[in-house]
Amino acid sequence: MAGEVMVVAEQVGSKVAPVTLELLGEGKKLALKLGQHLTCFVIGHNMQDAVQEVIKAGAQKVYLADHQELAEYKTLHYRRVIVDELGKWTTPPHTLLMGSTTTGRDLAPRVAAFFETGLTADTIELDIGPYEHTSGTDETKLGYFPECLYASRPSFGESLKARILGPWKDPQMATIRPGVFPKPEMLDSAPEVEVVNVACNFQGSDYRVEIKETIRELETKVDITAADVIVAGGYGLGSGEGIDLLKQLADCFENSVIGASRKIVDLSWIDYPHQVGQTGKTVRPKIYIACGISGALQHRVGMQKSDHIIAINKDPDAPIFSFADHGIVGDLYQVIPEMINQIKSKRNSENKELKNA
Amino acid sequence: MNNKDLDIYVLIKQVPDTRSKAGVNPDGTIDRAKAGKMLNPFDAYALQAALNAKKMGGPNSKVTAVTMGPPPAIDILYQALEHGADNTLMLSDRRLAASDTLATSYALCQTLEYAFKQNGRPGDLIFCGLQTTDGDTAQVGPEISERLDFTQITYCEDFSISDNEVHAKKIIEGGTQLVKAQLPSLITIANSYQKLKFKTLRGAQFVQDIKRSSKEEQAKFVEIIDLDACHAEELRCGLAGSPTIVSKTWKIGVVGGNCKMHQGKSVPDLVGEVVQGLPILEEFVKI
Ligand SMILES: Cc1cc2nc3c(=O)[nH]c(=O)nc-3n(C[C@H](O)[C@H](O)[C@H](O)COP(=O)(O)OP(=O)(O)OC[C@H]3O[C@@H](n4cnc5c(N)ncnc54)[C@H](O)[C@@H]3O)c2cc1C
Ligand SMILES: Nc1ncnc2c1ncn2[C@@H]1O[C@H](COP(=O)(O)O)[C@@H](O)[C@H]1O
Repeated sequence: MAGEVMVVAEQVGSKVAPVTLELLGEGKKLALKLGQHLTCFVIGHNMQDAVQEVIKAGAQKVYLADHQELAEYKTLHYRRVIVDELGKWTTPPHTLLMGSTTTGRDLAPRVAAFFETGLTADTIELDIGPYEHTSGTDETKLGYFPECLYASRPSFGESLKARILGPWKDPQMATIRPGVFPKPEMLDSAPEVEVVNVACNFQGSDYRVEIKETIRELETKVDITAADVIVAGGYGLGSGEGIDLLKQLADCFENSVIGASRKIVDLSWIDYPHQVGQTGKTVRPKIYIACGISGALQHRVGMQKSDHIIAINKDPDAPIFSFADHGIVGDLYQVIPEMINQIKSKRNSENKELKNA
Repeated sequence: MNNKDLDIYVLIKQVPDTRSKAGVNPDGTIDRAKAGKMLNPFDAYALQAALNAKKMGGPNSKVTAVTMGPPPAIDILYQALEHGADNTLMLSDRRLAASDTLATSYALCQTLEYAFKQNGRPGDLIFCGLQTTDGDTAQVGPEISERLDFTQITYCEDFSISDNEVHAKKIIEGGTQLVKAQLPSLITIANSYQKLKFKTLRGAQFVQDIKRSSKEEQAKFVEIIDLDACHAEELRCGLAGSPTIVSKTWKIGVVGGNCKMHQGKSVPDLVGEVVQGLPILEEFVKI
């Protein structure tokens, strides 16, 4: 009998991270296919509201580790409560999911190595399905497995998608990219479900790492995920003053916003809510205009699903040209003003036509 | 500085060279046999971090570059020596083929334990790249850290070492964090860390000299071991030791070659091509 489908929740300031809700939504489908429960492992401090939240998102049972040492994510403390709890189960979860965030990527491999089990990174598709292992030197692995976790992920610079599975050992683990699965419909109120309090037996060695300071950019009202047009800037702007030029270009379009690479957010040229990428927002606008952005992998994962990508970069070998739709090789300080010019004059002539008609 | 001597290890991997067109099939997949080889670009940052860490320790601190791979991977070990690494170690064995991250972390862990034994003491620091460009999982580092029971700092952007502790700045979701971790520690270095500096003159000369010297002399600086030497169990390595397999692959869009490039003309012409050639732009232009 297969075990449950478990999502390890991620939290910041006792609030559930969006990726956790996305995973619960997708995890529910897997649990239905397996005929199993969807459970959620909540770790943090003062997590009552968070527990309600994950139940509203579909969790049918919650494991709660609530302790002041767990208020902020710490590798060794979080690892401790997970391996201690799951380590005493006779039937481990069938599937164990975490977000492919900086936190999930720090924690999941530690848990996987502890249980000596498989872990698929950066998954973009999940399913349950059969697999037959018919060849190989290790005879103990041969056999038919009716219910494996299918975790698919991009590989080789994203031109291939690979399905990875490992039915030989539970839990079958995967980290999932934020933003690829939709948020589930949330129930209006949380039904009664069992909440198991997990023991926190920290050991001396768990205290070997100390957080001295956490600098987190606060969210503001800007929501770049809802825009049709994003004009994004990177280090190629040269200085914070370049943002003005981006604003002028963005002003030419309806429902447009400014996006940014992490580098210029780190330099405080613009605030964090504008950041696109792995540790920023995932966006899918109709048009994405990347100005002076090199196209590093961590930026790319946040914007590659945009309908039309226009890249302006003075380096013809910049990686961004390998996945943009239109590439303009040139100095953005010449290209953008010219673009504004042409868009405006086109608009004016069209307005004239409208008047004449 | 009255710091103690540090034993520093850096894990580096040779990966297919995706910058050149050689070995890249038209559909974007890589023909590993034909492709050129290079040092995993993420590991170049880790190498620089290891070399920087050496300066933070006592005068007898040393950097050992470690890799697991087929014989040609020896090239990146020479490269590490040219940049200033003191020693290198390679695990190479046919039985390692098709290792996933768990099997890789096991084999590398055995290799490190072997080195610790040879050295008479466990390492103080292990540096890894953030991820590899071919495996691309960012798992091998933390899995080794778990096996060795080291403290762990991932996504490290900057660090200093004093009094048996590492002080580090690391990337977290939506911000950064300053942490203090006791040694021994395993650190994965973010690609926002300093770029790898040029080869040192001494390093380049040194590599020239050892390449000309006898096999025994070479083995002092570029040691190659197999599974038996590091007491790795065969069944925990390679395909047999890998809990995961790739059961199927699909093509998903071609990388590169799709971008319509506009260059080598006057700026108004370049911009004109895009503005005229992309009718969708007009849909969103403010009237
Ligand atoms: C864990 C982790 C998470 C990360 N998360 C994110 C993330 O969420 N989002 C993100 O963006 N990055 C992220 N990064 C950082 C990422 O790896 C890159 O460092 C960053 O995206 C680079 O920003 P950039 O393109 O602005 O700068 P650069 O890489 O410095 O590129 C600047 C570009 O501008 C071009 N240029 C220069 N001058 C001009 C000019 N006058 N006209 C035209 N072009 C010009 C240059 O040719 C170059 O290509 C993350 C990194 C790590 C390690
Ligand atoms: N075969 C290998 N030899 C040496 N180091 C490796 C190897 N594979 C992975 N690593 C290290 O682990 C990091 C993460 O790799 P990966 O989990 O494959 O993304 C790399 O940047 C290297 O530092």
